[in-house]
Amino acid sequence: MSTNPVLKISNVSRAFGAIQALKEVNFEINEGEIMGLVGENGAGKSTLVKIISGFDPGFKGSYQLNGEEVKFDTPSKAEEYGIAIAQQELSLIPNMSVAENIFLTGAKVKKFATLNTLSKMARPYLDEVGLTDIDPATRINLLSVGEQHLVEVARLISREAKILILDEPTAALGELESRRILEMVQRLSANGKSIIYVSHRLDEIFKITKRITILRDGVSQGVQETKDIDVNKLVEIMLGRELANMFPSRADHISVEPKIEIKELWPDGVLEPVSFSAYKGEILGLSGQLGSGAGEVLASIAGALQSRSGSLTLNGETFLPKSPNQAIKKKIAYCSSDRKRDGLFLGRPIFENLTSPALNAISKFGFNFGDTEDSYAKNLAQEFLIDVKRVYDESGLLSGGNQQKVALGKWLSIRPDVLLVNEPTRGVDVGAKSEIYQRMRELAARGITIIFASTDIQEITYLPDRVITFYRGMMIDEHRLEQIKTPVILKEITDPFNETNL
Amino acid sequence: MTTIAQDHQQPFSAKFLQFYKDRTLLAILLSLFAVMFVYGIFFTDNYLTLTNFKAIIRDAALYGIMAIGLTFVTLSGNFFLLSLKETASICGVTFAMGMATGFGSPDLAGNFLVSLLAALAVGVVSGVIQGYFVGMGGNPIVVTLGGAGILYGIGAWWSDNLVINFTRPHDAEWLGTGSFLGLPSITWSFILIAIAGEIVLRHTNFGRKVYLVGANKAAGKATGHENFSMAIIVFTICSVCCAFVAVAFVAQMDSAQSNYFSAEFGSSGDMTILVIATVMVGGNSIMGGYGSTLRTSLGAIFIAMVDNMMVLQGFNSGPRIVGVGLMIVFSIIVFGLFAKGSRAQE
Repeated sequence: MSTNPVLKISNVSRAFGAIQALKEVNFEINEGEIMGLVGENGAGKSTLVKIISGFDPGFKGSYQLNGEEVKFDTPSKAEEYGIAIAQQELSLIPNMSVAENIFLTGAKVKKFATLNTLSKMARPYLDEVGLTDIDPATRINLLSVGEQHLVEVARLISREAKILILDEPTAALGELESRRILEMVQRLSANGKSIIYVSHRLDEIFKITKRITILRDGVSQGVQETKDIDVNKLVEIMLGRELANMFPSRADHISVEPKIEIKELWPDGVLEPVSFSAYKGEILGLSGQLGSGAGEVLASIAGALQSRSGSLTLNGETFLPKSPNQAIKKKIAYCSSDRKRDGLFLGRPIFENLTSPALNAISKFGFNFGDTEDSYAKNLAQEFLIDVKRVYDESGLLSGGNQQKVALGKWLSIRPDVLLVNEPTRGVDVGAKSEIYQRMRELAARGITIIFASTDIQEITYLPDRVITFYRGMMIDEHRLEQIKTPVILKEITDPFNETNL
Repeated sequence: MTTIAQDHQQPFSAKFLQFYKDRTLLAILLSLFAVMFVYGIFFTDNYLTLTNFKAIIRDAALYGIMAIGLTFVTLSGNFFLLSLKETASICGVTFAMGMATGFGSPDLAGNFLVSLLAALAVGVVSGVIQGYFVGMGGNPIVVTLGGAGILYGIGAWWSDNLVINFTRPHDAEWLGTGSFLGLPSITWSFILIAIAGEIVLRHTNFGRKVYLVGANKAAGKATGHENFSMAIIVFTICSVCCAFVAVAFVAQMDSAQSNYFSAEFGSSGDMTILVIATVMVGGNSIMGGYGSTLRTSLGAIFIAMVDNMMVLQGFNSGPRIVGVGLMIVFSIIVFGLFAKGSRAQE
């Protein structure tokens, strides 16, 4: 293996407005190497990946390829140099064939080519990624998500990519499919391709990478040889020392009278009806990976997702909300996992966002002349540590952390009895994370029942008073506070039935 | 970011610049006004007369009122009601039928109130039906294009494609050609509807919901403001505005025909295009969530001003339609460019 890195990035910085996403980051990768790239949400992984793949030319610092200084203005320029990225969201066209998708750009293909020719041309690339059993004439949407990922990679290889960036390729996959991805990565590496492997799944990182680059708050924490480091050490470097202080201490006493009882709820994405209850002033965590059904259960309590059956009992009333509107009327607030999609009105000012669920509270006979609203919004902003002077700004101008605070904070305006939060800190920096945890704990102390779903194992271990685990649409187990142990929960959300020996 | 304290100390020029920076779109519109105005004074005979200005506003009033109705639709993110002229057409026919025949009962013939209510009722019904389908998830363009065909067809069928006349004196003259304190009734209506529209948008819960749902439909649903009821209400508001304009226009002409709003009307010849142009020249966001009825009113007056100038300079209808088209293109370019900086990306 050559000692000179094929790709070397030194002292790269990137700022978005006031936010310093990357500070003097160094990164390198050798030929045929698998380099892990880890870090928390908001640590700067995606920014770094965007810089490497040419999506983001606006950085400061040096970018060398094979010892030569390069500058990519567009992703296609980077591709010419053999750098390609497989993103989490696939860019395949669902109703075209595998072969057509691989040769979508038309490069290397004659003006007229039958599907048969294309299929023959696609064969070697499919073999290389391990899709030996797939007919290249198959339509993409007949493949599993894991297989689609493999096709995406085959497409990158067909364009002679030498350095491949895989951004969380297994995030949406089960164990078996994940294993195929890992096998492919190892095979490609053996063929001399360099692979930058970005993942939250530390077990995978340890299994396949040779070295690991760790980012924290936009600063690189050095490169570690995988064989010299263990999980605990890695997590410590990833999080810094603040881990202990990041989560608020738990309440001394939780009431045991159920505040909300969920009976036989059965939304899409869940295999069998789910029943549980949450106590007054408690934070209940629903733990599960993507597709585990935890988020779906939450959404159906809020009326955002239809449930086939079941009912909720809250404050002595039994009902099943058919729409978010009905749930809100019963004082159930729901903060979804995708604030940009349905959490915020990005083009509107912050104060309008904050008061949006409670228009009746800020108006008289439907008229609103701003005075009540102003103090109302400012109080909410203050409570959630949002700069009060900024309430007239467009919410789209806020950082991810502050946006999340607005998306969460607006629900206080209806004085909810139950607050449902899906992924409370997705895409949020560490500072705002700890503030959000703090606020959630304070709200619980006020008697609000908080149920949140999360794929983040730290959050699940340190924030809630009780944890319910989900795996592939099934409720697995319930853990009281003293039983919350990371390894047990991890096992239950990844492989509760010992299906794999990973 | 200016605070209120700073505002008092700033010199006028700085204040002006700040205004220009904060409200770029409105400032551009006002500057355009000024330029056209000055051009008009120097290069067009008979431009700077009170009579002419009354004429401009009067012209602006008819499509301005419809455009204010359409502004609600556009702001709420439901794009456009494409059956504007067809709604006006069937409502006009209804009104004229009432005035001429009393819908079959001679006692009611010429009864203004009954005819008016009948026309407004037709507007409400067509608005509710189209709004219902859009609210259920139908594409507004497709639904209202379909609506356009049906509404026009019914109007033409009912009136046998004939001109329905009713003779003067009749009870609707005050609305059609009458005036009050020196201004035509239709101008008064425009002013009052514009003020009402602005108050509703700025100072009512409904107005706020229009902006919120327009800015993000999914977030609106999640916060309990569903587009279903929103679509029904905004399409009804818009259709009622069309009905009102139709009544005023028919009252002025003493007659109605189903294609009045396609051929006979205004400079552009096509009411729907003219009204949509007004909303867009006013600088309202096509995607919703940004704009106001004030902008629309200014847009209406601006279009009327340009049109009036062209008339006085002796252009016939062809070039004037081109003028309206150019204004749409221009407004899309200008507002598109400047809106980029002010609205959040992603």
